Amino acid sequence: MKTRKRSSLLICLGLAFAFLLVQQAYATLGESVDSIATNKKTLSAVRSFTRTSSKYSIHEFQSETITIREYVSPSGIVFGIAWNGLTYPDLTPLLGSYASEHQKAASHIKRQPGRRYIKIKSDNVVVEKWGHMRNLQGRAYAPALIPQGVSTDEIK
Amino acid sequence: MKLNKLLFFILISLLVISYSGCSGGGGGGGSTSTPTVTLASIAVTPANPGIAWGGTQQFTATGTYSDSTTQDITTSVTWSSSNTDVATISNTSGSNGLATSFTAGATDVSASLGSVVSPSTTLTVNSSNINNVITVTVNGGIGIPNVNVPNWPYVSVMVCTPGTTNCITIPYILLDTGSYGLRIFRSFLATVPLTQVTSGSGSLTECIQYVGGSADWGPVQTADVILGNETAANVPIQVIDSTFGQPTLCSQTNQYILDTSPSEAGYNGILGVGPFTQDCGSGDGCGWYYSCNGSSCTPATTVSLNNQVSNPVSFLSTDNNGVILRFPIIPLGGVLSVNGDLVLGIDTQSNNSSSGVTMYPADPIYGYITTIFNGNTYSDSCYIDSGSNGLFFPAKDAPTLPTCGDWFCPSSTQKFSATIEGYTGSPSNSVSFQIGDADTLLSQSTSNEVFIELGGPYPSAFDWGFPFFLGRSVYVGIEGKTSSLGTGPYWAY
Repeated sequence: MKTRKRSSLLICLGLAFAFLLVQQAYATLGESVDSIATNKKTLSAVRSFTRTSSKYSIHEFQSETITIREYVSPSGIVFGIAWNGLTYPDLTPLLGSYASEHQKAASHIKRQPGRRYIKIKSDNVVVEKWGHMRNLQGRAYAPALIPQGVSTDEIK
Repeated sequence: MKLNKLLFFILISLLVISYSGCSGGGGGGGSTSTPTVTLASIAVTPANPGIAWGGTQQFTATGTYSDSTTQDITTSVTWSSSNTDVATISNTSGSNGLATSFTAGATDVSASLGSVVSPSTTLTVNSSNINNVITVTVNGGIGIPNVNVPNWPYVSVMVCTPGTTNCITIPYILLDTGSYGLRIFRSFLATVPLTQVTSGSGSLTECIQYVGGSADWGPVQTADVILGNETAANVPIQVIDSTFGQPTLCSQTNQYILDTSPSEAGYNGILGVGPFTQDCGSGDGCGWYYSCNGSSCTPATTVSLNNQVSNPVSFLSTDNNGVILRFPIIPLGGVLSVNGDLVLGIDTQSNNSSSGVTMYPADPIYGYITTIFNGNTYSDSCYIDSGSNGLFFPAKDAPTLPTCGDWFCPSSTQKFSATIEGYTGSPSNSVSFQIGDADTLLSQSTSNEVFIELGGPYPSAFDWGFPFFLGRSVYVGIEGKTSSLGTGPYWAY
């Protein structure tokens, strides 16, 4: 019995780990949209849907605590990511190759007590966070990848 | 002619009366020389002072002698207070003439020496801070080392070991309508042990991440919380402690910097008095709670509402349906500091009536109302938030306002108007506000800490921060609780 319990726990941990890996794959800034389609089946635990406008498509994923929307250009590149929910997402996997420059920029930001908004700009990526307890929001975008005619305000 | 004669008669009569009045007051004037100097009169100063409840007032007695000399006789007279329920006055050596207030009201203070008694002077103890009223101070946080945050309101809160009189009063607690529940740095609780809340076999622990990149981590413990003179018993609070358990879970690989001290945070704690009872309010714990055994913590996926960090106001026996924040209006350019009131309860006592205010129903999950500004409607993240230190809204809606970093910096102060609506779409009323040059207001050359015209850019939302509270009484109605305004969550002003 003891052994069996342990193995089921391991399976749970394994599934959780797999889920985390999937999460990392479905919304990486600056990368191809292909990973979304590839992993859609595995993502069935998470509600998701897609909206398409003339300028871009939005792929939305909902978990218990957070909704993430990624904005995909007609050429299939993720140029922006927006989120809202009870928690903030772990930005490291979301930002992919931009994560390190963002972390470096973030470490130099002076804290602003009293503000419910922060904007962190680095060379190639902008991260904004705002909101209140129970609804924390934010967006990240790579200005160079935003298609012509699309405003950053549309990433929300 | 007849009328003229009558007037003449009256005039003569008055002259006669006044003359006889004057002549009737004769006498006096004789000089009576006395061989020794005697005390002729006693004067008490200051005349008719007013103090806040809980405060003290030092009186001085000045004797005037028969030779017209004066002398300070504060320590020789016998002091008396006509109403010792309101205030007593000391005749003890070392504190002679010091009045200590006990309740709101007025008392006549006088001093006597031998047969000479002073005229009385009235000491008024103001209702502020009585029972359900707590003084709120906005002074930049000068009581915390190395802190300077304009427009942040602070209160003092007393925290006790549950069921005991072992208590400590902690000043500089941020009064925040943008969050729910009390959070206090552990360093203040060394002599006041609280009761740990369990989660399975471990200790319930919480991680709260803030937009500015900081986070508060620490165990959830129950305390008796005393606000004003009222007790909220066994309230789960968060004890901020970045050394407890496994804090790296909260910093999320250094994406958030954990608050380790009041100097870093800008507060000794936070009192979240927004319109909800629990911080999360959902039985899954919102992903904020952990169960810790030693230094090993795992996410707690089931956290009963009773165990979640809670707004102490909703635990009060009668004044539990919400709060009122009252602040005076201040001039443009700012002031050094401002005091306001946090009033407990709505329509539960004579001093918290809601008559004459308009109620705006709030979204039942987030507490949002709607703001329409420059033709754009913001129903998401639109909040009345005493923990935001400015008025924050999208810069695109105010193209005449240049920004300077985090703030608006127009060369001259500009007036604006927006519409606030209940989340249901009604009621709907306009609000005017002003935005000034933050660069000048916040420059090092001024030491002002409170500004009504401070604002900055905010994306896709409208955040009515502290300046909104100046010159208003803002009512915050707690979810599921009713006043004559209706059932919360709501905002009213």
